Amino acid sequence: MSKKVLVVDDDPDVRTFVITVLEENQYTPLVAQDGIEGMEKIETENPDLVILDVLMPRGSGIRLYRSLKTDERYKTLPVIMLTGIALRSFLKSQKVLAEFKGGEVPIPDVYLEKPVEPEDLVEAIQKKLG
Amino acid sequence: MKIKKILFVTKFEELCYDALSSLLTLTRASLEHVVFLNVIERDKVAMHRGSGYSKEEAVKLKETANIRFIDWAENLFEMGLEVGAYMEVGELIPEILKAVEKESPDLVVIGRSHKGPLEQLYSRSDVTELTRRMSIPILVFKHMTEDNIVPEKIFERPLLATTWSEASLSAQSYLSDMKEVIKEVHVMHVISEKELKKSSTHEVQKARREQRKKLDDLCDELEETGLKARAHVYVGDPAKEIEKAAREYQASLVILGGTGKSALMERWMGSIPQSIADKSVFPCLLIPASNS
Repeated sequence: MSKKVLVVDDDPDVRTFVITVLEENQYTPLVAQDGIEGMEKIETENPDLVILDVLMPRGSGIRLYRSLKTDERYKTLPVIMLTGIALRSFLKSQKVLAEFKGGEVPIPDVYLEKPVEPEDLVEAIQKKLG
Repeated sequence: MKIKKILFVTKFEELCYDALSSLLTLTRASLEHVVFLNVIERDKVAMHRGSGYSKEEAVKLKETANIRFIDWAENLFEMGLEVGAYMEVGELIPEILKAVEKESPDLVVIGRSHKGPLEQLYSRSDVTELTRRMSIPILVFKHMTEDNIVPEKIFERPLLATTWSEASLSAQSYLSDMKEVIKEVHVMHVISEKELKKSSTHEVQKARREQRKKLDDLCDELEETGLKARAHVYVGDPAKEIEKAAREYQASLVILGGTGKSALMERWMGSIPQSIADKSVFPCLLIPASNS
């Protein structure tokens, strides 16, 4: 059975691009448009990997990433960040949140800045899923 | 009533990062989440009248907005804030209302209306339209100086112009919840010329004393919550007197309660808060009437 990959991104063009890459490489794509829908899909669909944007309406990827990495059920779920937000800002935000809310979270497995080449994305997915 | 989430509506002309930055003092009070909205109005990407719009042009404008928002968002994320963004092609007011429905913000921040006086006469200003259709506070942001420098601490010296309406009174609870960022509150009431037309000198003084007493009681209530407050009674045209008081006491923000008048009444009789929000040089926070 093919592995399920959840794409969480508010940009329909990015979702289409990632879905195409996933289908061409025999993965089953799942989609969510924001962090809140993303969490719902993780709970109901149990994906094998999440590709996560950061700047989104409703819930951002920063909060969703943090929720996953501080939740016993999902802390080992691989996450690939795919975003326009610089890694430096992402890391600083996690540091500030850890300071105020407690609970350090590990840095993301893979952090890709948009735009990404299809082969780089596939390589990152394959590295995580085999 | 805490302001935890702001919807920041920008066209990048009048409302930029400096304006946003001046609101960030609210993180000391309760602010946790900022959502950006940029509406690309159809006129800007229209090809010809009635023949739709250029998708290519819309994509270009959306990407331009996205780049600005990413830059702003990075700063906000680094402060530990939650950030979201919308870039939409459409009409300003419906897109704001859609974002409000999805995000449930505690405050909407917009710039001064771009409509001219003639346009406003026929189609109402953006502020009027929004206050009529939303039941959450609106901050109408202004650049207070000629060189467009934004006040650094917009909530530092608010002037609450009360009419003793329900909305004016609920403004009080917003003030109490922002006490961490407020240095001093000025509260005022304007006795209108209409109220004084048939009055004798004695009655004018009596009216002034009564209003002053009510304002003093309000100040006492505010001081009990930890705010420093001062009362002022003015007489005359409310819009002019509120502007005058804001200048005299160097207010950083004017807070006004909605009238609760029906849309039809407002269309014919006008609304003082909305007129001030449209015309004043000061940033204005409009608190809606609960029945709006």
